[in-house]
Amino acid sequence: MGIFSIRAAALAAALAIATPVVAQTLPTLRVAMAAQDVGRLDPHFAVSTIDRVVVAWMFSGLVRFKPGSIDPAEIEPDLAQSWERSEDGLAWTFHLRPNVAFQGGFGILTADDVVFSLRKSANAATSAFAADFAAFETIEAIDPLTVRIKLRNPVPSLLGILTNYAGGYIVSRRAVEERGAAFVRSPIGTGPFMLDHVTPNQSAELVAHEGYFRGKPQLAGISYRFIPSDASRDLAFQAGELDVNYGRADQTWVTRTRQLPNTTVDVFEPGELTQISLNITRPPFNDIRVRQAVAHAVNRPEFVRWRGADVSREGQSVIPRGYLGFINDPGLLPHNIDRAKALLAEAGYPNGLTIKVVHTQLPEMLSGMQVLQQQLRRAGITLDLSIVEHATFHQQIRQDLSPMVYYSAARFPVADIYLTQFFHSRSIVQTPTAVTNFSHCNLADAQIDAARVATDLAEQRRLWAEAQRLIAQAVCGVPIIETLLVYGRHNNVDYGYTLNGSMSLGPLITERTRLN
Amino acid sequence: MLGFVVRRLLAAIPTLFAVLTLVFVIVRIVPGDPALVILGDQATPEAAAAVRERLGLDRPMLVQYLDFVGSALTGDFGNSLVTNRPILDEVAAVLPHTIDLTLASMLIGVVVGVPVGIWAALNRNGFVDVMARLLSLIGLSFPIFVSGIFLLLAFGLHWRLFPVIGSADLNDPLDRLYKLVLPATALGLLMAAYITRVTRSAMLQALGEDYMRTARAKGVPRRRIVWVHGLRNAAIPIVTVVGLYVGILLGNSVLTEIVFNRPGLGKIIVGALNQRDYTMLQGLLVIYCFLIVIVNLVTDLLYGVIDPRVKAV
Repeated sequence: MGIFSIRAAALAAALAIATPVVAQTLPTLRVAMAAQDVGRLDPHFAVSTIDRVVVAWMFSGLVRFKPGSIDPAEIEPDLAQSWERSEDGLAWTFHLRPNVAFQGGFGILTADDVVFSLRKSANAATSAFAADFAAFETIEAIDPLTVRIKLRNPVPSLLGILTNYAGGYIVSRRAVEERGAAFVRSPIGTGPFMLDHVTPNQSAELVAHEGYFRGKPQLAGISYRFIPSDASRDLAFQAGELDVNYGRADQTWVTRTRQLPNTTVDVFEPGELTQISLNITRPPFNDIRVRQAVAHAVNRPEFVRWRGADVSREGQSVIPRGYLGFINDPGLLPHNIDRAKALLAEAGYPNGLTIKVVHTQLPEMLSGMQVLQQQLRRAGITLDLSIVEHATFHQQIRQDLSPMVYYSAARFPVADIYLTQFFHSRSIVQTPTAVTNFSHCNLADAQIDAARVATDLAEQRRLWAEAQRLIAQAVCGVPIIETLLVYGRHNNVDYGYTLNGSMSLGPLITERTRLN
Repeated sequence: MLGFVVRRLLAAIPTLFAVLTLVFVIVRIVPGDPALVILGDQATPEAAAAVRERLGLDRPMLVQYLDFVGSALTGDFGNSLVTNRPILDEVAAVLPHTIDLTLASMLIGVVVGVPVGIWAALNRNGFVDVMARLLSLIGLSFPIFVSGIFLLLAFGLHWRLFPVIGSADLNDPLDRLYKLVLPATALGLLMAAYITRVTRSAMLQALGEDYMRTARAKGVPRRRIVWVHGLRNAAIPIVTVVGLYVGILLGNSVLTEIVFNRPGLGKIIVGALNQRDYTMLQGLLVIYCFLIVIVNLVTDLLYGVIDPRVKAV
């Protein structure tokens, strides 16, 4: 070997040593939420939008909505790889996927964890979603990878209850037992990301769960930032300090954000239906003519113009559109001011009337109520608003202190839940089983109950349709507008699926999500 | 001095007790149900009752009160009803951010406000005085959520000199300082506006006193007259205002914290109030009250340093 070769070899060796090995470091996704802080991170207590968004990244259910969809017809296997049901729909057997690892070295998922999780969800002391499990008779492990559920009566969507939403999340039994009360702040699931730490008032930091059963995530983690000020959040997004930003559901925000460079605005389901409930048992709304006058005075197209066509649409029934069982022709009364005035006169209010209404100071709900107030004024109905702080509003409307309640909600997309919670006598406020029936409506109880246990799908749909028509006809509630979810993201964020909907009310971040 | 400190601390005990009691009663008088916050809007009364029972909120008020006072006396404020995180941990996590912001903004306020106030007083009704009064009026008229957004637009978005998200890594002093610049400036200028006005007014009064005329007649240099004779006598109201605002800023910088995305005591207090987090509110307000007692004590001690007659009393 000549001197040149020796030098060349030495140089090559030196270069090889000097050249750093380029380690592929994965990026962290920065997501901003309009929030002060997270609440309880035990998925069975995740009831606020803030908490629902983040637990969906950490936990899985036996089944899941196809990412980007909220269509119950697209529910697919997740922790369970297959299942079968008995002829009568009362016994369901789930076969678990083997070798699914829990986060943080908490072992492999077994049927015991599933049984424990579902029993925890069904218990009011350990879950906010216990009511969803009312029809569950037994939940038992047949073998380490098989779970059997027996129902007292058929439910409209058992798979819906077991999805990656609300009470369907599966937790680690060992982690719950070892951590006790601390589990709500240090939860363990099987999802693609796990909680690293929470800095109060600042952020929740998640790291990738390397052993995630669908594959290692393509992100190092997620920084979930709590930024309550809309203006500051938007500025941080524009300054490139955020990748994904919770947006305001109004046209101005959407139009402005779409004009930013390299930015996409995602508008997706579920739509939250805003509806006014009228207490049919107390004056003045115990007179159907007054309720009809209110319904005629409501101008839905005007509401959509106010909110924005990209983010809202007219309410078409007493349940949100797209829900299993929804009909778009329940017989809602059309906008007609003259008819409204005539009905009021017939009811003994020729000069109009004034109604005292409790309402929240929450800006997005207050502005909507002010639009409604203006619309009703045109028909001679004056709303005397008693504006209270939001927690007070929730308490006072449940104490039946307001004859009219302006309320926005989205629920699991099956007619039964919305109809039951808002229009079944069992849910009337100030009763032991109250939920959110502010109208005291009980006219469709028979149809709602019959549909819940119907095994024939056509008959079930017919009953739900009939219930919607009865409620609309009696004007227990007046649907107004549906508002969709809005998030902005920079174009380098690839969710790994098309975002048309998300039951967790925020973009699902999966093992396929990446920053390009 | 030690006796004075001990006397003041002992005097604070009844105040703290009164605060403990008032806070306990007030947070329960305000309508709203923590169980609903925890369970969400689909909760049935039965489920809410189960949660109240688990949290001990169904116990008689007196039992809850004695439990709270007993725990507070041992320094244990328990866990948040909503997040279940220990309250002292929550406070410990955000208090450094609050103290950083309070001290930095007060420093800016004093460094800007005191000289400008003196200058304005020395040029009474002159150009400098008019400008100082006008600028301080503008400073006081701009709410922080307007001036803060302007600062973010200019320095965070346009020139990109400072981050919009101002929450810093507490273990990194440089990061802490860097992210403090914009919020401390916004709040500091507001404080400067207050301090300018107070300093001007106090100095004007001091400048008109007989001893100042005597000093001038004796030929004492103007600089000494202003900074030693004038400022020392004007210092009591200035220190009073600074002490007062340090106390206020500790718990009331919430708008600054929100606009600049910083954690802080004020933000936690507002969050706990919105969520009806009784235990958190109780703990936070007692700790806040304790801080106010300390700030007032320091202010009183400073009085003694500035004016020996106060110490004698």
